[in-house]
Amino acid sequence: MRVVIAEDLALLRDGLTRLLRDNGFDVVAAVADGTALVTTVLLERPDVAIVDVRLPPTFRDEGVRAALMLRERAPDTGVLIVSQYVEQAYASELLADGRGGLGYLLKDRIMDVDDFVAAVHRVGSGGTALDPEVVAQLLSRRKPLDVLTPRELEVLALMAEGRSNTAIAKQLVLTVGAVEKHVASILTKLRLPPSSEDHRRVLAVLAYLRGGAD
Amino acid sequence: MGRTLRTLAFLLAAVPVGALALGVLIAGWVAVSVLAITPLVVPALVAFRAAVGGVARLDGEIANGLLQTSVRPPLRSAGSRGFWHAGLNVLRDGAFWRQQAYLLARLSLGFGAAVAEWSLLAASLGSLTLPIWYRWSAPDLGSRHVDTLGRALLGVPVGIVGLVIALLLVRPLAAVSRLLVVRLLGGGEAGDREPSSEERRRSLAVHAAAYATLNLALTLIWALTSRGYFWPEWTFIALGLPLAVHALSEVAAERVSPTRRSLAVHGGAAASAAVFFSLIWAVTSRGYYWPVWPIIVLALSVGIHAISEYGRRGRRISELESTRAAAVEQQETELERIERDLHDGAQARLVALGMSLGMAEQKLATDPAAAQELLAEARKGTREALEELRSLARGIHPPVLADRGLEAAIAALANRTPLQVNVAVDVPRRPPRPVETAAYFVAAEALANTGKHAHATQVDIAVHEEGDALVVQIVDDGDGGADPGGGGLRGLARRIEALDGRLDVISPAGGPTTIRAVIPCGS
Repeated sequence: MRVVIAEDLALLRDGLTRLLRDNGFDVVAAVADGTALVTTVLLERPDVAIVDVRLPPTFRDEGVRAALMLRERAPDTGVLIVSQYVEQAYASELLADGRGGLGYLLKDRIMDVDDFVAAVHRVGSGGTALDPEVVAQLLSRRKPLDVLTPRELEVLALMAEGRSNTAIAKQLVLTVGAVEKHVASILTKLRLPPSSEDHRRVLAVLAYLRGGAD
Repeated sequence: MGRTLRTLAFLLAAVPVGALALGVLIAGWVAVSVLAITPLVVPALVAFRAAVGGVARLDGEIANGLLQTSVRPPLRSAGSRGFWHAGLNVLRDGAFWRQQAYLLARLSLGFGAAVAEWSLLAASLGSLTLPIWYRWSAPDLGSRHVDTLGRALLGVPVGIVGLVIALLLVRPLAAVSRLLVVRLLGGGEAGDREPSSEERRRSLAVHAAAYATLNLALTLIWALTSRGYFWPEWTFIALGLPLAVHALSEVAAERVSPTRRSLAVHGGAAASAAVFFSLIWAVTSRGYYWPVWPIIVLALSVGIHAISEYGRRGRRISELESTRAAAVEQQETELERIERDLHDGAQARLVALGMSLGMAEQKLATDPAAAQELLAEARKGTREALEELRSLARGIHPPVLADRGLEAAIAALANRTPLQVNVAVDVPRRPPRPVETAAYFVAAEALANTGKHAHATQVDIAVHEEGDALVVQIVDDGDGGADPGGGGLRGLARRIEALDGRLDVISPAGGPTTIRAVIPCGS
């Protein structure tokens, strides 16, 4: 899988490059600002771009804006935003087009290397990876979720993060069959169309949650 | 036909409106000049401005009805608040000067047009009907006495020609009237916002041009007629005073710092009035120099104003000294808190992390299982350290506030608390950054307090603009009893006072609690 990294701090840029190379990724470029990111991605067409939110010259939301531009101009490249803080406002902007191939994670999550590597793979193949903190913020605003059981809420949160049934089963120490049953029940209760495909189901759930956020 | 009648009615309205306007303008300027020696000049100016606006609006409504215009002349002048500023706002209000120009035009040109048009109309109708009424009251037509039907019939063509001319004049008269109404009374809801310096400069230029044109015209009339006593000197002097005051307030607005502006305008207006009185003295008797008395009183009033101004400035300085000291102390406290948080939090965690890593290194060869456990512990510690640093950073300045503004930042706050929070932010323009940050921390601190102490279930946060101030209000349904002297609220109050704002905490035992901050956005 081919990856481009945009991170202005050399320490983190090099660390991330090493971590990804060690895990079998092909890091084709590591750049330090948003403009270089857009040019490189348009040239290299990688599977994933990993982007820091704060980049020069403004050190504000440069990365989010570059990501939004990439979503439009390089739709085949997945974008994984990593940041020292996560904000639901940014997540909403990024998810607004309702497409997959998107991730938004705290930099802390990189420490859980296996999880992080799985997230990069997921985003690169059209899936999503949302930080549990973003998901928690999304869930906290949605009243009708009272109809779900605590267990179903747990499954919903993991689903919103972008995880597959198998991953959810592993995390909650359940069988895949049990998870499938919970998922079916959640979709029925929230009146969402059933779908066997993980990515599409996740997008439906996210659209539902964001609908409640507005 | 209807339009013609409406235009004629509008022309006729110049008689009562012109009389009213003349009364208001003379009474207003006399009152303002006389009261210029006392602080009462400010209410007098405001009342005068409302009276001028009132007459202008009355005539504007007449024009709206009869000439199909749609103007709504403002009655008040916008601008900064404060006693002396209220007077200054009036003097700097272009709409006010345009309304006066309009009323002057209405009572001179308009009155003249009304008399001419209606006289022509009446005379023509009289001529036209001469064959009917010459019998009862034989008039003179030209040099001839009209006493036979034949002579009376001569009046008919004269009447027709007059009537045609009168009717032909209606349309251009209507067009000129409409132009005057739209140009001078319409345009720009000047009452709603402060005019830009560009607009104010333009209105002063128009005022000066109108003054020059009018006096030039009167001088020409004088030159072409009697050339006796130079009567136009009276309009030179009478209209010169308003122009001088207008020009002065503009110069003051451009060149003088806001704190000295009202004093500068007052001094300048007093000087203009002194020149005004002296000119009147010069063109009249030139005997005993009576203007010395009003000049003494004017000087006294400017002196008193200056003393009160400097006294006010003294009080302001001591107020600034105390809020600055509080702000510095608050900053000190804040830095201390951050240092302590770093020391007890992230730093301690990094030390523990180093220890875990060191021990893991030791055990790697002998006890790999224990080493792995230590490494996992180290990772957990790192995450906790990051978590703490993040919340510390957010407490100093939340990134989303700079990136996306108050609404997003307060919504993010609301997302992080378990309380039911309703957020209503209505701030069309982004306030200056220190104001925005202070407003954010009012909401943050209030929410934190509510979460900790109030046992509340619901919180309403509202942010809106009131004049040039930003208002943040947080209401919860908890059990009240919040202490305004408590650490958090006291620090918040200091922060807001340093911005010249105010923090009110209303929290009776039993609730509900209302926290309200008013922060001026500066000018």
